[in-house]
Amino acid sequence: MTNLRIFFVGGLTSYRALFGWLSPWILIPTFLFTPLFQILLFVYIGRTAGVSDDRFFLIGNAVVNAAVPCLFAMGNTIGGERNAGTLPLLIASPASRVPLFLGRALPVILNGFLVAVFALVTGSLLLRVDIPPATWGGIAVAIAACSVSCTGLGLLGAAIALRVRETAVLSNIVLGILIVFAGVNVPIGAMPGWMQGVAEWLPMTHGIEATHDLAAGHRLGEVGGALLTELALGAFYALLGLGLLRWLEWESRAKATLDTA
Amino acid sequence: MRVLRLVGVAWWLQLKIRSRSAFDGLLSLLYPAFFATTIFMMFRQGDAAGPALLSAAVGSSAMGIWSAVSTTAAFALQTERRQGTLELLVLAPQPFALLLVPLTLSMATIGAYSMAATLLWGRLAFGIEIAIADPLIFVLSVVVTVFAIAMLGMLIAISSIRYRAAWALGSAIEMPVWLICGFLVALSDLPAWVRPLSSVLAPTWGVAAMRAAATGQSPWADLGWCLLTAAGYGLIATLVSRWMVHSARSHATLALS
Amino acid sequence: MSNPSSVNGSAALIAERQAAAPILAASQISTGYHGHAIVEDFDLDVHAGEIVALLGPNGAGKTTTIKMLITLLLPTAGRARVLGHDVVKESRDVRRKVGYVFGGDRGLYERLSGLDNLRYFAELYGVPPRESKQRVAELLELVGLTGREKERVEGYSRGMRQRLHIARGLLHRPEVLFLDEPSIGIDPVGARELRATVKNLVETGTTVLLTTHYMFEADELCDRIAVIAQGRIVALDTPHDLKQQVTTGTVLEIEVFGLADGLVDKVRAEPDVQSVMVDVRGQAEVLAVHARPGTDVTQTVMRHLDGSRFGRVITREPTLEDAYIELVNAA
Repeated sequence: MTNLRIFFVGGLTSYRALFGWLSPWILIPTFLFTPLFQILLFVYIGRTAGVSDDRFFLIGNAVVNAAVPCLFAMGNTIGGERNAGTLPLLIASPASRVPLFLGRALPVILNGFLVAVFALVTGSLLLRVDIPPATWGGIAVAIAACSVSCTGLGLLGAAIALRVRETAVLSNIVLGILIVFAGVNVPIGAMPGWMQGVAEWLPMTHGIEATHDLAAGHRLGEVGGALLTELALGAFYALLGLGLLRWLEWESRAKATLDTA
Repeated sequence: MRVLRLVGVAWWLQLKIRSRSAFDGLLSLLYPAFFATTIFMMFRQGDAAGPALLSAAVGSSAMGIWSAVSTTAAFALQTERRQGTLELLVLAPQPFALLLVPLTLSMATIGAYSMAATLLWGRLAFGIEIAIADPLIFVLSVVVTVFAIAMLGMLIAISSIRYRAAWALGSAIEMPVWLICGFLVALSDLPAWVRPLSSVLAPTWGVAAMRAAATGQSPWADLGWCLLTAAGYGLIATLVSRWMVHSARSHATLALS
Repeated sequence: MSNPSSVNGSAALIAERQAAAPILAASQISTGYHGHAIVEDFDLDVHAGEIVALLGPNGAGKTTTIKMLITLLLPTAGRARVLGHDVVKESRDVRRKVGYVFGGDRGLYERLSGLDNLRYFAELYGVPPRESKQRVAELLELVGLTGREKERVEGYSRGMRQRLHIARGLLHRPEVLFLDEPSIGIDPVGARELRATVKNLVETGTTVLLTTHYMFEADELCDRIAVIAQGRIVALDTPHDLKQQVTTGTVLEIEVFGLADGLVDKVRAEPDVQSVMVDVRGQAEVLAVHARPGTDVTQTVMRHLDGSRFGRVITREPTLEDAYIELVNAA
């Protein structure tokens, strides 16, 4: 019971504390405006490059934008706690680490999900791309899976950010990697072999492919494997992240490296 | 002359500061490279070659100049505020707009480095031939574009002296400008209602000039328009800055608390 | 510490200065927001070569007042003139001639060296190019940072940063220097050097207005002190005269271990006791009993303490601190 409380209460409070300073002036440009323009940008570049497939670019860029809140918010959680000086309190609290951090993850996952869905819906209206209503349910599941796995990666990033001071730089680089490798603007099949190898291990790759399939009319059951891989990757990164946090915690006690001030 | 010296010294020192920062320095170099890479891949997938590919290379590498400015210009004054130096800048017996010029110019300079790095990357990783027809004019076009983008950056920066959340807006127009200014997409491919907007944005003319220089066409008209629009921004920024600083002094937003 | 013989001398000097036009004249200057006043009806005239302190607790409005006077904040009412220029309408003229130094870690470019910081501000504040190099070197010498100027500021200690701040504030040879809590967080040696530097500056003709909450600093350094509480001046006088204003007589300080309940109230109730304050110092509580002028409450208080354990007993004359506390509490 305590764990559940920590999960929900701790998570929500931390999220609000971080994003409490966000006014609509920040929320709307960051989460609504930018993803939409990214879609438009790549749709038009695609047309110029002679790879005209509006739906392909719409889906890829809409879904990858779920990564933005998932990566940055987790990074900011840790960064914010460090800046506020509450990090040692967080790490040292007797509450079990897992529900604590998972609790912080839930609002983030939801945020990512909503951003991607909004981008997809608005983008399809603007570009007059047809995504049959029957497929929306499955697509929602796929996007949710992407959000979850990205948050897992975000947790790993947040743990690394404890050591490397530049949280924002790290999150931006990961986002860049996703945009290049995760099959967002170039189909996985069209990438050189080594890039495909990297893509297999990244979040978003499988989820985006599944979304393409679902939008084309495949059933949820057919893409189940891809979605499970997505979730498994998320869990993998999250575990790595938690493991790293534990180790850094130990190391900080041994060598006083954890920046608390 | 004093003005030039002030801008020069301040520009140089600001460049030092930025190059020593991972966010301003390293990321400004790296981040556009990700976009350029995916764009190069898209063009290769579409079997682009020759002038089309070169055009794409020039456009996507120039994206770096804009993203270096758009992201940091919005934060610039917020950073100064957090450092406690914003008040010291306002206290200087200079027009505030003048002090902004070296700030955004240094960002655009880093963007220019990013452009060179991306072109090199295109050459090495994608085998794109950087066959610039008129290298000298090309470099001139780059310099003018850097200056023009810096002026646009000033407009973004000045709004954040009064409104602390203004950085989000600055960050949000990164991609729209890439699209609307024709960095990669021909203006004729964009909806007609966008054209007037493109024509008042200085980067549009700068990029057009760069492309003209690369393909051996005349860039002079484009350069002229670029300078004109850039001068316009400078003027607007000067007028707006006086009002903005006054407002910031009334509402006590120069300091953190 | 000011000694009696210098008191008369400085009184004459002050009278002489006041005859000349003030360098800084603030009249009913106020600011606030949403109906909440931060500084109200602030009146102050500062004359050439004076050192004036704004003394007050945290949140009294000292920094806000300074910021209004140096043109960083716009007052909502009242006017102020510095060196003959209005702070609102002629702000650039004011800025050319004033310097601003504030305490704390911020206000410098961390990634630049001390030297680069000074170079930057020298350009910004209009130091003529020909003079710039020499002036920077001169000031580095003055504040004792020669040899460390090429290091990045991010590696500077608080004391070094403070010294760099002073150098920065003096680059353009300001006629009026505003110091906002300059000794905060500085070790005693550094603070003493700072005070010496300020005194030297004044001797060479600079006028200084500083804010502080350190009593002894105001006492030692300043010609006049303006005591500020809750945004208003509650007293404006020389340190000596302020002490005279203290209406209490001697102060009796007793270290008590285990203060009995109700004891403080009983002591307060005594007719000759003006006020009682309790301060906790480690294991003991220090009872500071202010007696009515001309009375001696020692016996009375000791009677109440019969049965309690106590340590040191001191009687002393009221200090500036007592005056300050009394003035601030009355506000």
